[in-house]
Amino acid sequence: MTPLTHKVCMLGDFGVGKTSLVARYVRSTFSDKYLTTVGVKVDSKEVALPGRDPLKLVLWDIAGRSALDAPSTSYLRGASALLLVADGTRETSLNSALNLLMQSRSTLPDAVAVLAVNKLDLVERWEVAATTLSELRRSLPVFETSALSGAGVEEAFAEIARRLPG
Amino acid sequence: MIVDAAWPVVVQAYLRAVLVDRTHLLLLSFAPGWHLLDLQGDPAFYGLAPEAPDGLRSLQDLFVGLPLDRDQDIPFVELANGRSAHVHLVADRDAFHVLLLDAEEARSHERVQQQLVHEAIIAGHAKSKAIGQLKDIRDELGRQRSSLEEANALKNALIATLSHEFRTPLTSIFGYLHLIERRATADATAAQALQAVRRSATYLFALAENLLEYGRGESSGALLNAVEVDLGALLADVEGMFAPLAEAKGVRFRATLAHDDATAPRFDEVKLRQIVVNLLSNAVRYTTRGEIVLALAWRDRRLAVDVRDSGIGIAPEFIGQVFKPFNRGAQAGSKGAGLGLSIVRRLVDQMHGTLALESEPGQGTHFSIELPSVAAIAAGPEHASTLRGRRALVVDDDADVAQLLEVLLEDLGFEVRVLGDAASAVARAMDESPDLLLVDVELPGLSGNAAVYQLRAQGYRGPIVSLSANATTDARDASLRAGANHYLTKPLNLERFVAVVRRAVGEGAKEAT
Repeated sequence: MTPLTHKVCMLGDFGVGKTSLVARYVRSTFSDKYLTTVGVKVDSKEVALPGRDPLKLVLWDIAGRSALDAPSTSYLRGASALLLVADGTRETSLNSALNLLMQSRSTLPDAVAVLAVNKLDLVERWEVAATTLSELRRSLPVFETSALSGAGVEEAFAEIARRLPG
Repeated sequence: MIVDAAWPVVVQAYLRAVLVDRTHLLLLSFAPGWHLLDLQGDPAFYGLAPEAPDGLRSLQDLFVGLPLDRDQDIPFVELANGRSAHVHLVADRDAFHVLLLDAEEARSHERVQQQLVHEAIIAGHAKSKAIGQLKDIRDELGRQRSSLEEANALKNALIATLSHEFRTPLTSIFGYLHLIERRATADATAAQALQAVRRSATYLFALAENLLEYGRGESSGALLNAVEVDLGALLADVEGMFAPLAEAKGVRFRATLAHDDATAPRFDEVKLRQIVVNLLSNAVRYTTRGEIVLALAWRDRRLAVDVRDSGIGIAPEFIGQVFKPFNRGAQAGSKGAGLGLSIVRRLVDQMHGTLALESEPGQGTHFSIELPSVAAIAAGPEHASTLRGRRALVVDDDADVAQLLEVLLEDLGFEVRVLGDAASAVARAMDESPDLLLVDVELPGLSGNAAVYQLRAQGYRGPIVSLSANATTDARDASLRAGANHYLTKPLNLERFVAVVRRAVGEGAKEAT
């Protein structure tokens, strides 16, 4: 049986680790070399959740932006979910992620949204306060992730899958 | 036709080369359901294999959620073989076509430019952050330097004073003692007197050495060297030292001992002696009539030290000053360096005791000290009673350390659970909300700091104590920033551990209310 397929867009400022999160989730790999994404790279992974039919997540790793421009908006069309990504060591990237979420709502009013605050392995250098995330959790699911160690990555994508229609 | 047939043939050929060949145009035509009808161009150039069952799956994935009956344009798509292409979908009644145009050159160009800009921004961010930190460090160093210079000046003055005022006469005393003792004497009284002089001089020398340590910082001095103390011998020694001095001034000297506890008293004997000697020195110095009474009482695992005199007393306005170092003048006729009572206060604090002072000018002074046995400091009844039944979660991957922490906490009355990794500790702590969470920083996988941060980010408000072998300020600050309430370094200082645990649990209780 062909699994139900959903498009998931990775949104966030440049350098926050969107590509690395996808690499960790899909291929279990990590590279610490930063290579800017131009345009989009599409990957996919099937997710099996207990008590549900498998889902296929098609992951759109979109070039990093602090605000949505026309090309980025065009990439969002047809998406069922957004994984907003911020870098815990750069507080401005959290503002960017939230800004992107608000902007994307006009294109995708009903899309599932989950926030991944990445680079947990560098938590000693984080600028984002724990209390800020505690507050954000009231309005959307938040995961502290590390593409390097894998912490929180599986959980963040699983949360998206759980919230998508089966 | 991609070009107009009316155009010159060479122009048509040129345009074909530009628009088709250079862009490596790949045209795939599909019937509904993604059934491939026709293909023009080289699919392998884009890493596609139309003949394979899932060879075009990545193309299909691109259009998930998009209507296939409308034209679509997706620029700069990185394909499975790493090449970038502009992908277009052209609707055609019941069919549709997918066009791929090579964008690798444009992508590479764009990437180089963006990479430079992004790296510059990231480096700029890191630079301004580092500059801010350096500035903070510089300011902090400046502050520390000023206070260190001040402290150092004080310490140097103290050492210079003590070196001269203590060592010089003591050297003379020891020298003459040696000369006198070499002359054999059959006079028992004289021999006893000489022994008493030597004993007192020796103790004075030891006291001078201890006073010199005053400037060596709190940390080393705060460590207790616990031994079983023979209170009777201690009483006899100090009586031997001070009774003759008091009696020479016409002052009665009495020393009593009540030993009501069957357990052996355990104290840092040097510190205990220093306390008693300093209090008695003070009493003898300022008492010219009446009596001086020393009373030691060992009961309920606490030692009460009472020194009462009928001396000149302390005026109420000076009561608060007598415990300050270099205080000369709090008591009329003061001749000492003004350190004795400040040392007593410090030693009592180090021994976790209490000190009370009552005095009336012209009537006398009464110092009342209570010291808990060292064993009671670690697991005293008051700690156990306040902490009994509390739940502690210990997270340490080193089984030996974890066991040590478990034993220590159980001695304090905790019910202890031990885990070896941070991830399960986060879940357990959120689930059970223990009264105390002790987390090793250097855990495999998710670090202790990351776990603490995650807990705080999930709204966990219970007390957290981080433990680490790293004693640097940076490591401590990082743990506290991550959300720990306290930071302890390994190897553990038992007293500090107990104090921090008590404080942490006390804070947690306060926060909960």
